[in-house]
Amino acid sequence: MMRTLRAFLRKEFKQALRDPRMRILLFITPMIQLTLFGLALSTDIKNVDLWAQPDSNDYLLRRIYDRSVESQWFRSASGDHNADPFELVRSGKADAALVSPPGGLSRAVARGAGDLQLLVNSMNVLEAQAVEQYVRNISNAVIEDDLHIKRPEFPISFEVRVLYNPTLETAFFMVPGVMCMLLSITTIILTGMSLTREKEVGTFEMLISAPVSATEVILGKTIPYLVLGIVQIPLVLAVAVFGFGVPMRGSFAVLLVASVAFVCTTVAIGTLISTIASNQQQSTMGGFLFLFPAILLSGLMFPIENMPAPMMWASYVDPLTHYLALLRNIMLKGGEGSFVVKHVLILIGMAVLLILASFRRFRTTLQ
Amino acid sequence: MSFRWSRAAAIAQKEMYHVLRDRFTLTLALGLPVFMVFTFGFAIEFNVKNVPLAVHDADKTQTSRRVIDTFGSSGYFLVDPVVSPAAAQQAIDGDRSRAALVIPGGFQKDLLSGGVAKAQLLLDGSDNSTVGPILGYVASIEAIASRRIADFDPPKPIEIHTRFLFNPELNSRWFVIPGLAVAVLAILAVLLTALTVAREWENGSMELLLSTPAEPLEIIVGKLAPYAVLGLVGLAFVYVISRTVFALPFRGSHVLFVLGGILFLATYLALGLLISVLTRRQQIAMQLAMMAGMIPAFLLSGFIFPIASMPAFFRYLTMVLPARWFMTIARDSYLKGSTLVEMGTAFLALGVLCVIIIAIAARKFKKDLEP
Amino acid sequence: MKDSAVEVQNLSVRFGDFTAVDSISFAVRRGEVFGFLGANGAGKTTTIRVLCGLLRPSAGYGSVAGVALDAGEMAIKARVGYMSQKFTLYDDLTVEENLSFIAGLRKLDPAVYAKRRDSILAFITFQRPLNALIRDLPGGIKQQVALAASILHDPEVVFLDEPTAGVTPAARSRFWALIRDLARQGKTIFVTTHYMDEAEQCDRIALMRAGQIVALDTPARLKAEVFPEQLFELEAVSPVHYGDMDGLRDHPDVAFFEPYGMRFHVALRKTVGGENLRRELASRFRVQAISPTLEDVFIRTVEGERR
Repeated sequence: MMRTLRAFLRKEFKQALRDPRMRILLFITPMIQLTLFGLALSTDIKNVDLWAQPDSNDYLLRRIYDRSVESQWFRSASGDHNADPFELVRSGKADAALVSPPGGLSRAVARGAGDLQLLVNSMNVLEAQAVEQYVRNISNAVIEDDLHIKRPEFPISFEVRVLYNPTLETAFFMVPGVMCMLLSITTIILTGMSLTREKEVGTFEMLISAPVSATEVILGKTIPYLVLGIVQIPLVLAVAVFGFGVPMRGSFAVLLVASVAFVCTTVAIGTLISTIASNQQQSTMGGFLFLFPAILLSGLMFPIENMPAPMMWASYVDPLTHYLALLRNIMLKGGEGSFVVKHVLILIGMAVLLILASFRRFRTTLQ
Repeated sequence: MSFRWSRAAAIAQKEMYHVLRDRFTLTLALGLPVFMVFTFGFAIEFNVKNVPLAVHDADKTQTSRRVIDTFGSSGYFLVDPVVSPAAAQQAIDGDRSRAALVIPGGFQKDLLSGGVAKAQLLLDGSDNSTVGPILGYVASIEAIASRRIADFDPPKPIEIHTRFLFNPELNSRWFVIPGLAVAVLAILAVLLTALTVAREWENGSMELLLSTPAEPLEIIVGKLAPYAVLGLVGLAFVYVISRTVFALPFRGSHVLFVLGGILFLATYLALGLLISVLTRRQQIAMQLAMMAGMIPAFLLSGFIFPIASMPAFFRYLTMVLPARWFMTIARDSYLKGSTLVEMGTAFLALGVLCVIIIAIAARKFKKDLEP
Repeated sequence: MKDSAVEVQNLSVRFGDFTAVDSISFAVRRGEVFGFLGANGAGKTTTIRVLCGLLRPSAGYGSVAGVALDAGEMAIKARVGYMSQKFTLYDDLTVEENLSFIAGLRKLDPAVYAKRRDSILAFITFQRPLNALIRDLPGGIKQQVALAASILHDPEVVFLDEPTAGVTPAARSRFWALIRDLARQGKTIFVTTHYMDEAEQCDRIALMRAGQIVALDTPARLKAEVFPEQLFELEAVSPVHYGDMDGLRDHPDVAFFEPYGMRFHVALRKTVGGENLRRELASRFRVQAISPTLEDVFIRTVEGERR
C-alpha cells in the first residue's frame, strides 16, 4: 500500500510540476487572481455619471450637483443645456440626472415645494438604490449647510456599529470569497482532468492491469491534488493578509483543518465526475456544471436568506457555503467555537460521504 | 492554395459528427445555459429580506416593543429575541444573526422626557451581501419609527422624487439575466474550443489534419463552426427562457443583439483557438481559458460588479475585454432598446477586438505549422 | 492439465444484448507463443481483458497461471503482464520514472526492482539514457520499453494486445525476436495481431470470428486442415478484368478464390470438374501449385463463410 502510494505521489507530482507553465498556473496565478480581484472588485458604488441642468441662477441645484461630484460617488456627465435628461440616461451618457422643478429648485424651495426629480438608470438594482441614497444624503447636507436649517434629530434613532469591518473594506468581503472560489475551481477541475486523462490516453488500462486496489488508485491519484490545493491556501492567505490587510483573527490551525476537510470534499467531487466522464473535455464541463450553482448558492455574491426555499436547501448541501462561512468567521470574527465546530463537522461529514461515494463508483475493472 | 469553403465544410462536418456523437458533452453544452438561467433567475435577489436579527430588549416597554415591531414588519428582518446584549453579539459571532438590535433600559423614558431614545444596531461586517443594503434601510426605519411612535414628521425643504428608469420595479433578474447571455457564450466558446483543439494536439490528430491539403484557415473555420452553432443555440436558449419563464422585456433590435452575439462569439472562439495553440495540453488550456476568458467575463465585465466602481487602472483594462462590450449590448438591447448609434462605441470596440484576436490567432496558428 | 498456462472453458462475455465472446474454450501450454487472429470486434481484446483480470466474464470457467478466474482479479493481475493496444507509458515521464512507477504499482522491492530493470533493459538492449522522456523516443523503442514495463514483475504469462501496431517493419521483427527469446526463457506469450507474418511465428494460433474460435492449431496444421485441396496461384498472362473472374469465383468446383493484386489464389475441388477446370485455366494463366499462406487460411475461415 505505502509503496504503491509513494510511487503514485512521485509520478503525479512529476507530471503536474514538470511543465513550468503548470507550476505557474498552480502557484502564481491564484495569487495574481486574488490580487487582481481584491483590487478591482467592489460592491461600493462609485463614479456614477450624474447630469444636472446647468442654471447659474439655481443656487441650490448647483450646490447639490457640486457636492455630489466632490463626494467621488459621482462624476459630472457631459450634455448641454437643452439636453433631454431621459435621453441622456438612455444613451448611456449619464447614469443619473437631476431635474429641477419649473423655475428652478431654489425658487421652488422658497415657495415651500422643493420637489427635485432624480432619474436613475435602474438596470443595476444595487446601483440605483445606492444613487438614491447618496442624493438624499447630499441634499440633506445641503439643506443643513446652505439653507442653515438644522436637520431635526429623530426622536428614535439607532447608533449603528458595523462589527469586524467597521470601515467596510471591500477586500475584507471579497478576499475570503475569492479564496474559496479559486480553491474549489483548481481542485475539482484538476482532479477530474487528471483521472480522465489516464482514460483518454489509455494509461488507465495499464494502471488497473497491476494488482492495485481501487483505494490505492483513488488515493494515489487524488492525494497530490489534495496537497497542491492545501499548499495554495497559505500562499493565497499570505496575499490576503499582507497584501490587503485582511485580518486573520482566528487560529491558522483551525483554518487549515477546515481547508483540508473542504479540499477533501472538492477532490472527491472531482473524482466522482471523473467516474462519469470519459474524456477531459467532459470532465471539465461536468466540473463547471457543478461549480456554477455551487458558487452562486454559496452566499459569495448573493445572500442565502433571500433565496427561495429549494435553493436555500441546496445551499446547505453545498460545501462551498460552509467553507465560505468558516473562512469569514475564522478570519474576520476569530472563529466562534460552536459555529466552527459545527461547520467543520458538516464539511468532514460531506467529505466522508463523497469519498465513500467515489470509492463505490470507482472500478478497477472495465465496464 | 486559397481558401475553399468546401474543404472547410468537410472539416466542419467531421467535427459536427464528433460533437453530436459525444452525447455527454452535447448534453452539458446545451444543458448548461438552461441550467444557469434557471438557477441564476431563481436564486438571485439583491434586495435583502428575512435577515436574522437578534434583539435584546432591556426596556420592555410599549415603545421598545413598537420599535421591534417596526423592524419585524419592514420585511427586511426576522426578529429573534435573545436574553442579553452579550448574547446578541454572540449570535453574530456564531453567524446565527446578521444584525442585532440592543434596546437599553430607559428607552421609553428618554423619549417621553423629550430627549432622543437611542438603541444600538450591530451589523455583521463580514458579509458584504447584507451589510450594504441594511445600512441603506437604517435611515428609513428611523423615520418610520419616529413617525409612528413619536408622531414626528419634520418638514423636508427638498423632497427627492426618484424615477427608476428601464427597471422601475428594481427587479434583480432584469439586471442579471441579460448578462447571462455573455457568461454562457463565454463558457461555451472559449472552453470548448480551447479543449477540443488542445486535444487534437495532445493525441496527435492535428498533425494528421495538417498533413492533408487543407489550408490552416480552412481547418480553423471547419473546427470552430460547430462550436459557433452550439454557442448560438445556447444564446437562443437564454433568450427564450428569459422572455418566457422570467418575462423579461426586450426593447431593442433583435438583429443588433444577434450581431453583437456573433461578434462576441467569433472573438471568443478565436481566443480559445489561440489558447489551444499556445498550450497544446488540455489541463493547461483549461486553466488559461478560465483566466483569460471566463473569469474576466464573469467578474470584470460588469456582470455583477459595476465597472465604474473599479479603480481607474481596471476601468481602462476592461476596455480590452470583449465581454464588457457585449454585456453593454445585451443589457441595452433588453432593457433600454438602444439603437446602433447609441451602442456605437460598444460595437466598434467589439469589432476591433474581434479582428485583432482573430488575426493574432490565425497568425500564431499558421506560424506554428511551419516547421 | 498441469502444463496449461491458460485454460478456458465455455467462456462468455456479454455487454447488454451484445455477446462479445461466445462460449470459447482453449488451453495454452507453458512456454508457448499463442496467437489470436481475428478482425476488429471479433472478441480478441475482450478475451485478453478477461484473462488479465480487467473484465469479469459473464459465464464460463478459466484459469490463468494456475489461478482460477473466480479467485479474484488481484491474484491474476499479480501473475500476468499486460501490454494493451493503446500506448500505455506516460509520455511526459522519463523511462526510469515510468518503470519505477510501475514497480511501485506492483509493489516490487526497490533492490529487486533495480536488478530487474537492469536485466530487462539489457535484454531489450536499451542503450539510451534512463532519463530520456518517453515522448522523445522513436516508436519502436517506446514499444520495447512498454514490453519491458509489462514484464518488470517477472510474470508467468504475458498478454500482448497488438503490440506492434504502427511501428516500422524493422522494429516489428526486432520485437518478435524478443518475444521468441521470452518464450525460450519459459514465459507464456499470448499475443493478438493483424499481421500474418507475425502469426506465422506463433507456436499455435486461434482464429476468432464473432466471438467464437473457428479454428485453432499450429500454423502448418491449420493450413493443411483448412486447405485439404491443392491451392494454385494464377498469374494472368494478359490483362484481365475482375469482372471476368466472377465466373470462376462462383464455379461449383472452386472451393476458394481470392485475388491478390494481379494474382489469384484458387483452390479446386478434387473432382473431375475440378481437374478439368485446372486444365482450362492453364491455358489462360500461368498456374503454379503453392502451399497456402496464413492469410489464405484467415480469409477462408474468418471471412469465407459466405462462400
